[in-house]
Amino acid sequence: MKQVQVHPERCLGCMQCMLACATAHSRTKSLFTAVGESPLPKPRLHVGAGSHDEGFPNRCRHCDPAPCLLACLPGAIFRDPDTGTVLVDPDLCINCASCAMACPFGVLRYHQDWVAPAAKIVAQKCDNCLERQHEGLIPACVEVCKTGALTFEESDEALRRKTREVARSVSMGMEEQPLIPTGVQLLRQAKKQRFEMRCR
Amino acid sequence: MEYVIIGNGIAGTSAAEAIRRLDRQGAITMIADEDEIPYCRPMISNLLAGDIAAERLAIRPSSFYDDLNIKPVLGRRVQSIDPAAGKVRVGDSDLIVPFDRLLIASGADPRISEVPGSQLPGVFCLRNRSQALDIMAAAEHGRKAVVVGGGLVGLKAAHALQSRGLQVVMLIRSAHPLRLQVDASAGRMILAKLREHGLQVLVEAEVAAFEGSGKVLENIVLADGQKIPADLAVIAKGVAPAAGFAADGPIGLGPGGGIVVNNTLETTVPGIYAAGDVAETMDVARREKRVNAIWPEAVEQGIAAGFNMAGRRVAYRGSLSRNVMRIYGLDIMTAGVVEPPAADDSYEVVAVTDKHRDIYHKLVFRDDRLVGMMLINGIEQGGVLLSLIRREVAIVEKKERLLEPGFQVGKLMPQYFK
Repeated sequence: MKQVQVHPERCLGCMQCMLACATAHSRTKSLFTAVGESPLPKPRLHVGAGSHDEGFPNRCRHCDPAPCLLACLPGAIFRDPDTGTVLVDPDLCINCASCAMACPFGVLRYHQDWVAPAAKIVAQKCDNCLERQHEGLIPACVEVCKTGALTFEESDEALRRKTREVARSVSMGMEEQPLIPTGVQLLRQAKKQRFEMRCR
Repeated sequence: MEYVIIGNGIAGTSAAEAIRRLDRQGAITMIADEDEIPYCRPMISNLLAGDIAAERLAIRPSSFYDDLNIKPVLGRRVQSIDPAAGKVRVGDSDLIVPFDRLLIASGADPRISEVPGSQLPGVFCLRNRSQALDIMAAAEHGRKAVVVGGGLVGLKAAHALQSRGLQVVMLIRSAHPLRLQVDASAGRMILAKLREHGLQVLVEAEVAAFEGSGKVLENIVLADGQKIPADLAVIAKGVAPAAGFAADGPIGLGPGGGIVVNNTLETTVPGIYAAGDVAETMDVARREKRVNAIWPEAVEQGIAAGFNMAGRRVAYRGSLSRNVMRIYGLDIMTAGVVEPPAADDSYEVVAVTDKHRDIYHKLVFRDDRLVGMMLINGIEQGGVLLSLIRREVAIVEKKERLLEPGFQVGKLMPQYFK
């Protein structure tokens, strides 16, 4: 089954995915109108700075077993049996933040949402864009990622592809192809160096 | 194999389920005081507040006991255990249940007030579902309520009663609420917030008596003579392990009054296990035995005890005190050691405050390990910090970095994934 794969070594921290995520979870599904919605749609994945200030896309891993699911007091967090996606039922959620205390990746947020009961603050997390997938679309964050930091593929295929890319990058006679696109590498390097200079 | 489980709280329930995963044949008897289908105890304050319906408390189907082929003995407490004979005596009856493996998951009882009048109708505790329903019934006709105690349950009770439209006075013995969870400066922040939300809080207040003419509560009398009129009172002075039946037997109790267990949740008597609010386990942050009477630990301990009882050796890695509360416009998440012993210089404290965002974050390190945290507002990354405490990860970078705005799991790469 295809899943969103995260390749942090390619993230530039442009946050396009966050914008696309918020739009995909809006009522109107268009950035132009989404910004005027109330409650304001918010992203489910969070781009932050990595260990050297380079980009890091932080997204729910849909863990198995999922600590948030086990910690959920009202039983609002459940797993979609078909896709393994860990989801929150906004009607059952009591906004207690037990899931935030349990999540070792810090991906839960609490706010209103147009699909939740009006004015109710509920736990929000990545839902693998199941709604989009039903319409034959890929998750919104992957669709807009320009650097390949987010891909939508089978886990073992992603691994095989990476292995192939490494092998190719050191093999004679292949067209020279860097592991990470040169532009991406350059920008990440710049951020890293700026960070190191600051630390000195 | 005859399994007996004392208690149908989440520890006992989780243990029964774990046993059934490994042993479909063995007989399981569950003896419990509460005649209920397993329900979510932390949510009784939500019930009291009117946020959820009573039916929503149940966390297992009504066929739970049948589904798992459990013989329930409900509405009765265990009176004594005879470890040598492998027998449990139930209540004051002649019912004696034999066991090969016993789990004590009897939970905890609220500490009751010894002052005169505490038996008056209108004076309640908030520990179980039926007590929450009793308070709701009393609140129907009441206008004024007093909450004795400023701990987690006290705060939740006060908040719930306020949302029912009652005027609430909170009496706290110490100088600020949540004395066991937060430090003095956080305590002052919280106190101010409570008062902002219309909760009247009296600090350093000692209750001398509950007063009533006839059979109804009328006043709470303080040690200084002050009288506070009240239609109902909730005593929230914490809980104590319900281990009375083990007091003079061979089952070892710890300094916290809980039943001491090893890393397989077995007590000092082979074949007898304990889990949940009654168990005294190794606290990973404090490195000492402690009763950590919290829901997530009861779940884990129940599962681990169940597996061990059914014959699969599972090591329980120890407990960690932790709590999260979103109440009165505050988000509070705490874990482990929040106030390190002053004389011990192996501890280091790092803290930040942000007045504009009402943030106060504090981390406590022992050598290079994170052993405690206290987050007032901005709790999103609490789970990441908590996992650093539980997994005892050596922090190699500058400790202050863990509190920088924008801190998230990516900052910890790659040592986090070691």
